[in-house]
Amino acid sequence: MKPGLSGTNPEDILRLSRRDALRIFAAHMALAVAGCSKPVEEIVPYVTMPEGLVPGEPLRFATTLPMGGYGLGIMGISVDGRPIKIEGNPHHPSSLGATDVFAEAAVLSLYDPDRSRTPILRGSIASWDAFRAALLPQLAKHDVNAGAGLRLLTGRITSPTLLRQIDHLFTRYPKAMWHVHEPVDDSLERQGTELAFGRALHALPRLDKAEVMLCLDADPLGPGPSQIVNARRWIEARNPKNARGFSRSYVAASAPTLTKIKADHRLALHPAGVSDIAIAVANVMGAGMAQPNLPPSSERFVNTAAQDLIAHKGRALILTGRSQRAEIHALSHWINAQLDAPQDFIAPFDRSAEHQPSTLAALAEDIQAGRVETLVILDSNVGYDAPADLSITANLGKVPFSVHLGLYADETAGLCQWHLPQSHPFESWSDLRAIDGTAAIAQPLIRPLYETRSAHDLLTMLARQDAVSSYDLVRETWRPVGGDSFEDWWRQTLHDGVVAGTAPLSVVAAAPTRPEVTSTDETQNELALVLSPDSSVWDGRFANSPWLQECPRPISKEVWGNALSIGAADARRLNLKTGDVVRLSLKDRVIQTPVLVSDGCPPGVINLTLGYGRRNAGAIGNAIGADAYRLRTSDALWMIEGVTIAAAGKRQEILTTQNHVRLEGLARDLYPVRWLNDLASAARSDAEAPSLPTFYPPAAADTYAWGMVIDTAACIGCNACLVACQAENNVPVVGPEEIARGRDMHWLRVDIYDHDMPADPVTGFQPVPCMQCENAPCEPVCPVAASVHDSEGLNAQVYNRCVGTRFCEANCPYKVRRFNFFGYADGQEYANLGAETIKAQRNPDVSTRQRGVMEKCTYCVQRISRARRKAKKEDRTIAEGEVVTACQSACPTQAITFGDLNNPDSVAKRLKSGPRNYELLGHLDTRPRTTYLADLRNLNGALKGEHS
Amino acid sequence: MSAIASAPAIASAPTNPAHPWIAAEHASYGEVTALVADPILLRTAGRRWWIAFGVSGLFVVVTLVAIYVLFTEGIGVWGVNSTVVWGYAIASYVWWIAIGSGGTLISAMLLITRQRWRASVNRFAETMTVFAVSISGLFPILHLGRPQYFYWLAPYPNTMLLWPQWRSALVWDFWAILSYLLFSILFLYVGLLPDLATMRDRATTAFGQAFYGAFALGWRGSAHHWRCYETLQITLAALAVPLVVSVHSIVGLDFAASLMPGWQETIFPPYFVVGALFSGFASVIILTALVRWGLRLEAIITVHHFDAMAKILLLASIVMTCSYATEWFMAWYAGAPADRSLVTFLFTGSSAPLYRTQLLFNCVLPQMLWFAVVRRNVSFVVLIAIGINIGMWLERILIIWNTLSHGYAVSLWRLFYPTLWDWALLFGPVGLFVFFFLCFVRLIPAVPMNELRKLCREEHVA
Repeated sequence: MKPGLSGTNPEDILRLSRRDALRIFAAHMALAVAGCSKPVEEIVPYVTMPEGLVPGEPLRFATTLPMGGYGLGIMGISVDGRPIKIEGNPHHPSSLGATDVFAEAAVLSLYDPDRSRTPILRGSIASWDAFRAALLPQLAKHDVNAGAGLRLLTGRITSPTLLRQIDHLFTRYPKAMWHVHEPVDDSLERQGTELAFGRALHALPRLDKAEVMLCLDADPLGPGPSQIVNARRWIEARNPKNARGFSRSYVAASAPTLTKIKADHRLALHPAGVSDIAIAVANVMGAGMAQPNLPPSSERFVNTAAQDLIAHKGRALILTGRSQRAEIHALSHWINAQLDAPQDFIAPFDRSAEHQPSTLAALAEDIQAGRVETLVILDSNVGYDAPADLSITANLGKVPFSVHLGLYADETAGLCQWHLPQSHPFESWSDLRAIDGTAAIAQPLIRPLYETRSAHDLLTMLARQDAVSSYDLVRETWRPVGGDSFEDWWRQTLHDGVVAGTAPLSVVAAAPTRPEVTSTDETQNELALVLSPDSSVWDGRFANSPWLQECPRPISKEVWGNALSIGAADARRLNLKTGDVVRLSLKDRVIQTPVLVSDGCPPGVINLTLGYGRRNAGAIGNAIGADAYRLRTSDALWMIEGVTIAAAGKRQEILTTQNHVRLEGLARDLYPVRWLNDLASAARSDAEAPSLPTFYPPAAADTYAWGMVIDTAACIGCNACLVACQAENNVPVVGPEEIARGRDMHWLRVDIYDHDMPADPVTGFQPVPCMQCENAPCEPVCPVAASVHDSEGLNAQVYNRCVGTRFCEANCPYKVRRFNFFGYADGQEYANLGAETIKAQRNPDVSTRQRGVMEKCTYCVQRISRARRKAKKEDRTIAEGEVVTACQSACPTQAITFGDLNNPDSVAKRLKSGPRNYELLGHLDTRPRTTYLADLRNLNGALKGEHS
Repeated sequence: MSAIASAPAIASAPTNPAHPWIAAEHASYGEVTALVADPILLRTAGRRWWIAFGVSGLFVVVTLVAIYVLFTEGIGVWGVNSTVVWGYAIASYVWWIAIGSGGTLISAMLLITRQRWRASVNRFAETMTVFAVSISGLFPILHLGRPQYFYWLAPYPNTMLLWPQWRSALVWDFWAILSYLLFSILFLYVGLLPDLATMRDRATTAFGQAFYGAFALGWRGSAHHWRCYETLQITLAALAVPLVVSVHSIVGLDFAASLMPGWQETIFPPYFVVGALFSGFASVIILTALVRWGLRLEAIITVHHFDAMAKILLLASIVMTCSYATEWFMAWYAGAPADRSLVTFLFTGSSAPLYRTQLLFNCVLPQMLWFAVVRRNVSFVVLIAIGINIGMWLERILIIWNTLSHGYAVSLWRLFYPTLWDWALLFGPVGLFVFFFLCFVRLIPAVPMNELRKLCREEHVA
């Protein structure tokens, strides 16, 4: 064949000669023959159906997903061999049956068209064989020098098998070194325990036992590996049925956090001011340190909070966050010890017994000095997320032999010689420890889609145990635990998704020593930049997830970007408005970002989240937002002082999906707030109000009446429901341009409301799915009867009947209907979302919608149908709790309750008759089936004056 | 049209109070007929007509391109969003159908009330109705997400045994537009019969004789013909008035039969009827001035015509002002927070400048028509009429924008930003209308010759 003649270029085909045509024909025949060769593994023809597999019926497998190295136990729902949805695993201590946004979005990353599919050698496609051929001589060198110059760089590793493999590697190459770099790490917390207890410990706060909680910049309800467990425990302690045990939280924070929003008393402060609070509280406990100068509001806050803490000794807890110094962490341990606080400590489990990992800084220094011969990077994007002062990006190329294993050919891949494609967690065997140390097995749900390998495979390659599979490795790790009847144990463990009895015992810590802490002055006229992990892309690793990019930030509701938050006073001083682009500079490093004027930002502080400004994330995540890592240094990871800010003279629209609403006057009905003390005496709200008279016949009582109750007091605004709904219902992503035009497709939104109160506004979240009104305003206006009511009270939308007049959305007071202005899932997809692989994620029970069609929340009607089919087969009615909507199953605080209102035992029915129940816009007589429970706050009488 | 300059002119003179509706001192039947028929039958179109035809042709191309893009890309090419789901298309629909009803009202109401002066203006007013209603009928189809299925609004036998949903105002709308369009074509055609016969008789070419002859339906001008004709015309006129009222009430119900603040108001149906009368008369005034100038009909269209129509405009303007005030008052008096908030938003929100412009054009400027000097100055009246048409379009778009962008769901309050294709489908159809109208004046007598002859006799100038 002539060079450059490719069969796919149409022009070339037109110029084909007869001979060329015959050649191509012959070549294709050869390929076709080769393509028909038997696969390596045994094929299972469905002549006899595999046990438990019914075509089209979903199967659930327990497995474990990594989140910053920690394991999150999940149930992977798989239809005909395709994983399509993730739900929580109730047995797993990090999940408790719920999920977070990152877990929900993991299923889409499996099918991400941008995933790396083949080994790459300096930018050109290579093969695993070529890599092996290149690796062997390199390893031969290290055989001689006992591994000197061989370095392993990983993220946080909790996998017992991987740790075992690393140990094994060290026995072979004793002089090799292991470095760990996790952008969102626990280093400050660890240093805090070292200062207090003399050794590194892993703290496990028990929020369910804390009746009074003081958070100093800590965000236990915020995103991260412990969000679900903390949120569940927090809400367990806030059950209004048990008024005495209803917890109260005080939060002083330098960033707008979810914990701060859900707090009963809150204070926005500069990080130095937060430290002062810790010192002052310690002094109340008798620390006797130099009393810092407190402003009156802090003074009042400290006095009340400290008294409350002391009064609840044994049931009071203080938590310290990332932007605080290690000394403050140590001091809070000392305070907790005085309070006998409900907090356990366990020995850190992200290291092997024999080998302590070294730091990234040490690696950077060694690379600089030319001491690194071979560098193997396991699933770490250090070329993007390393602190800027380490100059990793500039020096990585100096390493003679560098290998990067990752899901994507990312920034680091571009800096290394070799990039190797990593298997998705759904494609490989592994094991992971949860945040509390409980181990769980990760089993694959699907065979690798591409030529990928897991970290285990690469380590076996390095250790030259080529024949060992990761399946065997994981089993070998657990064989001693499984004991004699290992196969039974193994089956049970895989089924449960958690290795029973592996939670480490808590360490009985000695009385902590109190560090001597002095108050630091706020640097005058200089802004402190407080960084935090992003609630959508975390440290940047999820940047290529379209679901997460389009998932509104809980507070700002921003999507597709990370604007810099700045307080109103500072914005006025600097003459900045929301949307003005600023240049943030630290020494010679400069980034540009638009600002967002935010009430939650205290004076003197600016907030930016990590994970944006990715250069090589993929078609979705590239070149969005500002790269905060460029201002991060290894000694100032979370709070950076000395940053200068200057207007860049440009404007950039900040994309949001909805407004942050400040409620005034009568509109307060949209989001009522009740006080715990008043709850008992308060009259029942609309539950007792007689419903308005009507000419229409009442809803049928002889069938199901589906209804939902959402507890706004429990909602922490984490968006897990929103992404779960997106995954379950094939909700398309529209992309930033469409968001800018005011179009988004989420069937469920989480509104945020401020109650305008002097000094201290109460802010709360309100998830808004379709209300499934009994008198639905959308139904009578549809000219073609595409919006109809079914016998069970669902307000159904018949997609193939819809002609797209949009009158239903115009007439919907809740604005919960979403229109396909373009074919978002129908030929006009954003970026690469029309790729074939993406289609594999679609839920086969839910039709994708055409252009020009209105769609909306259906109460997951496909799940109701499944339950109904099952019940009919078994000749019974659907039981309470049998239908769980996607949003409900995801919720970490179980704020969403769904059930049959005609069933006298239903929880939803009971909640609806409770004193906090209210209808959104009930005065319109829409009779919504979705109702809410009013937010509930537990005020301290001493500070109550600020709320009246 | 330059050829018309050499018409066997019945000279236009300063208006004479003795015969206010005919400016000429003397106009024989033959002269009057020739004045109207000869430009069509004997003379070529002329340069001015061709220039206008070319320019309007460009607009037709713009309209077609905008529709092509809309059908291939989807509704997303417009500025509509999840909150403001309706935009220019609906405003233009209401605007055009309102203009259409002006023609019917002038023709029918003035016929019933025996206003003689209608003779000079009723033909092109009725034609305006047909074109405007046709154009307005396009918008509800164009605005659909899946326009290929617009016929689902009609009850036709189908395999799924599905019928339209009769509770929806949009179904009523479908019938209202359809019946109104059919009616206005019929009304125009019946009025044309004697004139078509005149054209047949005067046509100089075989084609002309065949063309007009076929459409004249064998009209011979017998007393029996005239009796049937007049009975039918007055009957149709009597049907027309309630029809116009019902069409506009239904258009009003498109909004009023909803739940949204600013829409759910019982005043909407009558308020829309008056609005239609208002903008319809304004449009007729503009067209009258154009036809008078373009076809040199100063002899038969006098300042008294403008004076009479201006008085109706003034009345309609006062009723409109009262309607606006009623809305504000009811919002305050009913005390619903959403309604109050909406009215506040009207005056202070992002589209407040547009709202003030609307009030200026619809309420304030028409008050100048209290003065006879202004009413009898054609330029002034036309300027005010243009202002009213702009103001009424603003009224319609603001009804949509304000309610939708400021509804109950506070978190989703959003604004509408028009796109290029919104503008293309706003102005393109104006050119389309002119295009149709230019074709009309070259084919059909723009003024009813038979009624004009009668008017000349009644004015004692024949």
